Formats: sequence, C-alpha cells, structure tokens
Amino acid sequence: MFRSERDPSTWGVGVTSIRAASARVARRLEAPTDVEHRHPGSVPELAETLSQASSEGRTVLLWGGGTHQGYGYPLSPDLVVFTDGLATIVDWEPDDLTVVVEGGMTVAALEARLATRGQSAILAEVPGASTVGGALAAGISGYRRGRFGPTRDRILEVTLVTGDGRVVRAGGRVVKNVTGYDLARLAVGSFGRLGVIVSACLKLWPLPRASATVTLDRDFANEVYRPLAVLEESRQSSVYLAGTEEEVAAQVARLPGESQPGLLWPGPQSGPWTWSLRVPPSMAVDFVPSLPADFIHQVGVGEISFSTEDTQGMEELRSKVEATNGRLVVTGRPPGEEFEPWGSIPPGIEIQARLTAAFDPARILNPGRLPGRI
Amino acid sequence: MSEIVDDLRAALDSDRVMESKLQLHLYGRDAGVYRGNPSVVAIPETTEEVIEIVKIAGRHEVPVVARGAGTGLAAGAVPTEGGIVLVTTRMNQIHEIDPVKRTAWVGPGVINLDLSKTAAPFGLYFAPDPSSQAACTVGGNIANNSGGPHCLAEGSTVNHVLALEVVLPDGSLEVIGSEAPDPTGLDLRGVMVGSEGTLGIVTRALVKLTPVAPDIRTLLCSFSSISDAAETVSGVIARGVVPAALEMMDQRIVEAVENWLHAGLPIDAAAILLAEVVGETAAVDAEADLIAEVARSNKALEVSVAAGETERALLWKCRKSAFGAVAQAAPNYYLHDTVVPRTRLVETMNKVYEIGRRHDLLMMNVFHAGDGNLHPLMMFDASQPGMIERVQAAADELVEVCVEAGGALSGEHGIGREKRDLMPLMFNVADLDAQARIKEAFDPLGRFNPGKILPAGSRCFDQSGTLPPGAWV
Repeated sequence: MFRSERDPSTWGVGVTSIRAASARVARRLEAPTDVEHRHPGSVPELAETLSQASSEGRTVLLWGGGTHQGYGYPLSPDLVVFTDGLATIVDWEPDDLTVVVEGGMTVAALEARLATRGQSAILAEVPGASTVGGALAAGISGYRRGRFGPTRDRILEVTLVTGDGRVVRAGGRVVKNVTGYDLARLAVGSFGRLGVIVSACLKLWPLPRASATVTLDRDFANEVYRPLAVLEESRQSSVYLAGTEEEVAAQVARLPGESQPGLLWPGPQSGPWTWSLRVPPSMAVDFVPSLPADFIHQVGVGEISFSTEDTQGMEELRSKVEATNGRLVVTGRPPGEEFEPWGSIPPGIEIQARLTAAFDPARILNPGRLPGRI
Repeated sequence: MSEIVDDLRAALDSDRVMESKLQLHLYGRDAGVYRGNPSVVAIPETTEEVIEIVKIAGRHEVPVVARGAGTGLAAGAVPTEGGIVLVTTRMNQIHEIDPVKRTAWVGPGVINLDLSKTAAPFGLYFAPDPSSQAACTVGGNIANNSGGPHCLAEGSTVNHVLALEVVLPDGSLEVIGSEAPDPTGLDLRGVMVGSEGTLGIVTRALVKLTPVAPDIRTLLCSFSSISDAAETVSGVIARGVVPAALEMMDQRIVEAVENWLHAGLPIDAAAILLAEVVGETAAVDAEADLIAEVARSNKALEVSVAAGETERALLWKCRKSAFGAVAQAAPNYYLHDTVVPRTRLVETMNKVYEIGRRHDLLMMNVFHAGDGNLHPLMMFDASQPGMIERVQAAADELVEVCVEAGGALSGEHGIGREKRDLMPLMFNVADLDAQARIKEAFDPLGRFNPGKILPAGSRCFDQSGTLPPGAWV
C-alpha cells in the first residue's frame, strides 16, 4: 500500500516522501483581497512599514505561506504584510550545523537546499507552502519531534521587527548559549504578537544515511530505541527509523511488520475543520476511540490531528481534554465560521499581555489572535 | 531590618531565618569571585512559605535573591544589592517519578545527581549533567539553563523541563507549561528557564527523564597538539556525527587529574579528547569507528575504547573532577565559560593560550569541545598584589576574542553579575531594551534578583531619539 517516490540510492537523503495512498495537501488560505497588501523587500522597509502602521493605528495581518492562518481568533486587518520579500539564506555554516535563514523562505526551499549537504532543520516533513517564519510563529513541529524535540528546541537566534518598528535580535549563532533571556524561544508560537520573525538561526542535524518505514498492526514503539517517529492512524501504526544502514537493518529485523525503505510521511489534515488534540503522551490513547477515523496520532508526543465538522462534539471533547491539562486547538476552519479556537485561557495571561504590549505597544500585529485575545 | 526578620520568623520556623554575621557571609557568595551582602537568609520548605517570603519582601520593598546549592560561577545568586536570600535546598523532595510517562515532579532543591540515581532503577536519568551535578540543584539548573558534557546531543536543561510551578514577583503562583505538547499562548516556561531568578522563583518542576541507551562507546583519543584535537572535533561534527559528548582536556589538566586519580591518562599528550556515542549497538560501533578514523587522520597518538562500565566511569570521573584537581597548580582559579562556533575552535584555542602568555597566567583548558563551549581556567594566587586585576583583564580579553569569532558570552554558567556589563559586546541598545522589557513584564518593580543579566540603563531605547543614551524611561 506504500510507494516510495524516490530512487532507492537516495534513501534517507533529501526531502521526505509523502505517502501516496493518503497524500493530503496542506491547505493554503488566500489573504484577504479587500485591504492593502505590502511586500517589503528588506528589513528596514518592513520596519518602516510597521512603524508607520503603529503611528497611524492601522492593524496588520502577517502572511507567510498561508498554511497556518486557520489558528486563533479571526482578524479584520487594515493591511496585509507579506514576508515573501525576505526569503534568502543569510548564512549557512554546514560544518557548524547551523543556518541563518530569513523568515519568508519556504520550509521546502530551505530543506531542499540543506539536503544538498546532507542536513536538515527538522521542520515539518510535508510543509506545503509554509514559510520558516510562519512555521516558527505558529510553533509548528514536524513528526520527527519524537526524536529531535519540538522546533523551539532548535532555534538559536532570532531577529524580530516589533510592532513599533524596532529591529531586535536575541540569542546567538552558537549551539549552546545562555546569554540573556531566551526571546528566540519565546517568539516560537507567538503568532506574530511579539514581532515579525525576519530571520532565525536554526540548529541543523545530519540527514541519516539510511531510513525505513515499518507498518505494524499495533504499537511496537518500545522495541526500538528512539525511532524518528511512531504514527498511529486508524488502521495501522508506522514506525519511522533512521540511522546507519546497520542500525536501521537491526531495528527493522526486530519489528514484526511490513518494511518499506525511505520515510513515507502522511500529509497534514485537510479541512474544512481541522483540529489538534494535545494531551500528556501516555493519555492520548484514551482519546483515540472517540475520534473520527482519519486521525494521525504522534505516539509518545501526545498530539493527535484530525478533521471533523462535528463542532458540537468538539465542545464535549474539549472539556475531557482540558481535564488532563491538555488543549484542543482549532487549526483550520471554514471562512466565516466561528468556534472558540484555543479553549481555556492559559496561565500567566497577564504577563503574556504585558509582553505583547512591550513588543507591540500600538497593538497592531495580529492583535487579539492569541488565547485571551491578547 | 529587624522588622523583616520578625515578619520572616513569624512565617517560618525561626531557625530557618538567619542573620548572624557568619551566615550572611556564607550566603553572600556563590562558587565564583563576587561577594554580596544579604540582609537576611530565609530557608523555606514549602511553596506557601516562598509566597510568604516574597510578600514580606514586597511589603518591605527589598530584593529577593533565590539560591540553590550556590555552585554557580557567574554570581547569579549573589545578593549584590542586599535583601533576602531565599535558599531552596530544603525543598528537596522528589514528589513523583512516573516511569511510564518518563517524567518527575521535583522540588527546586533536589540535587541533580540524586534525581538520576532515583530514576536509575527504571532505566531513566535526568539528562543535564553539569560537572557540579553531585552538589548543584535542579532549581539552579533551571535558573541557569545548565548544560554539561552530555547536552551536546541531549540539549540543555530547557529541553528537559515540561512545566514549572513558579512564584511571581507579586507573590502570585502559576503553573506554566504542561506535560501536553505545545501549550497555547506565549511560552513563558521557555523564557523562565535560564532567567537566573530574575523573573520568578521555581517551587516545583516537571522534568523529562531520558531512557538509558541500549549501548554506549566511550573513546579516549590523545594528540600531540591542541590543534589536532580541535580539528578532530570540527571534523567529527562536519562528518555528520553528533556524539553524546565530546570533551577536551589539555596537558596541564590531564597532569593534574592523573596526579590525583592515577587513571592511566596519557600525560605526555598535548590534549586528549573524550568522545561518547550512545544508541543501538550497530550505530555506536559505526560512529565510534568514524570518530577513531577522524582522530587518526588528525594525527592522533592513540585511540582507545573504554572496556566496560568501570573504565568508562573512571574516564568520566577524571573529566568531572578536573576542577577539583587543579587545586595542586595554584591556590585560586577563575573558571570561564564562553562559546564559539565549532568551526572556530582551533583559532580560538590558540588565542586563549596567547592571552594566558601575555598576562603571564597559567591557562588550563577542560571543556565541551563538541558544542564549542570553552572553559579556560586561569590559575593564580590571589594574595599576590595586582593579580586579581590581571586575571580580570585576561578574562575580558577572552570574552572579546570569543565574541569576535561569532560566539556568545556564556554557554551554560549564565550572565549573572559577572558578565552583565559585557552584554553590549553582543547586543545593541535596541536588543538590550527588548531584554529589559521582558524583565519588566514579569517584574515591573525589579524585586527579583536585581542587578543581574542586564547592565544598568538597558531599558533606554527610544526610537524618537529625544532621550539621551543611558536615560531611564
């Protein structure tokens, strides 16, 4: 049922394959057309645009690839600012395993470029049109987070243009650093409320020499040490393995399932309503029976993505999820439809509001998008 | 002051509130060179008591400086502006270990190594492993975002913290972060880690525990020059292998350690590298072979693999006791902590020794080479006149050299008071202002650990240019 789309001689190297049988395409929303569009081509131009918008009190919707615009409260902007004019690799030191990339570059373009030297930023495997800045701002991690941790563990430096047009940098281009507050990490998942991510330095990892996807009828994740990912879907579980040829072969031999060379990732959920259920990893299994058939459960991570139009059912599900201290988040909704996107307000909301006010005093950057409408 | 003491004694047992001259002296310092003058020392045992102390400090408008075991080296927990030193060492309960979830809820005063020992029967350990792990606390690790040899592959403390119960400067209590992935809203947990007690005081932490790897190889490679060892480090990373640890010790350090532990280290070598790879047997064999190959291509004198756990443990004991062993060389040492990109190691090491020669200071090096994290040790006798000034001048030069190479002020020890005034080497006024705004959002009155991380006047950036530099707004 699987088909590798690549030449076997390049297994494990290069951009990952999308599983053919269930190829889903990342939904790309279109920016509102009835307001002014800007495509700044430089950091100073962007800073000037935002500074001016701040002084005029015009609200700004930030737009990367449009793949994560379904998150959060809907906005009614006066202006859409695109990041596609800031889309280059600023600095890449392959021997340091670090890259500095502008926020408007697409994840696909970055990963393709890194793959030419056998490296990866471990961003989403099926990114569609999403940009690096957008993926960071939305706090998106790929399936390989089970092995490499979430994206926010791999951001080393950030440069932001704040709401009032200040250009601020934090962190550094080294893999280990405790110099000052970790604004880079704070920017991940901030949905533009602290500023536009104009560039970021990311930690890279070598692409494995070999890889395989093993399909099982149940979860054998504990049979192998640190698989890349274990994904449970309605009818099967898949264990994703990577490493040296010997290592992958040894792991495949221990797993009682059908093995395919290469990494055959499922695509993201398609709409119109898509959801992300996030619970303590060991409790995710309790929620699986109540979900629609077409779900993807990242085993060991605690995240399940799925699609359903049963918004009423989601109210009930959300209360059960929040009882575990988890969250049920809307990741995509049809235009014009409303549904509480985040669920309960997270702790420390006053501090969060003070932080957004400190970085966007005129409250113009994606205002009200985050939980608590901050 | 006596009113504060009275209030604290009413909130805590009186023997946990200390104000004797000796106690104030002892709690006025950490393991580094700075001294502070606390007004009083309070040792809470519960979250409620921490809240009470913070509220008392608020009423009396005095600072609160949280402190664990005091093993810090950057004066992060030194009360340089007086106030209450809040010691967390009695909040040392491991509240819960969940071997299925691979997590633990711990008090901030739990000693790092104790947590790993307690988790060991479940095949788990707490990955951050600073050299001081037998003494330092998890709360201190969180405050400094501590690293250690094995954070090369496992990441620093921040990668191992899921949630934090924190007392905020206004005395309110929040639990930030979650065992569930990707909590909604801004990631306050992430910015709290490494904030050196300036944003909040951690009273409980939910940390990740890491499964012990199925197999492990530890290699000892010796070289006739520092450059060959440093080239090996760069070469291994460039070949796409990220070992679990990749540590370098220079000849002076090796001599000191060997003289003490008699482990059979090669004292004739100019430098040794300690490399460790973990994972599946097939993987560790392949990676160990590759490291050996890179070492030999860089003219390694000898490459050996530790035969069994006893030999491995001895090698790590040598590495982690290095800072104790150097006491033979001189009565005092100043241990530095900076980072450079890994590709700049060779040139930076040469400059480090050159600075030592120029200031006539014995420079010893034992460090986390794999992530470019240098730890030059300057050996000296503080009783010699003018010596402290010489050491300080050399230290400042060291930092400048590392920043020029594209590095950072600190990789794992923190900024504290020690490097606060060096922050402008890395950041401009707008960057520092942004940092100061973060502090202000958490602690508008500047109550928690004032005078740390950010130089005075950081919150001064004004776009309109109507305010002079250095003005407070």
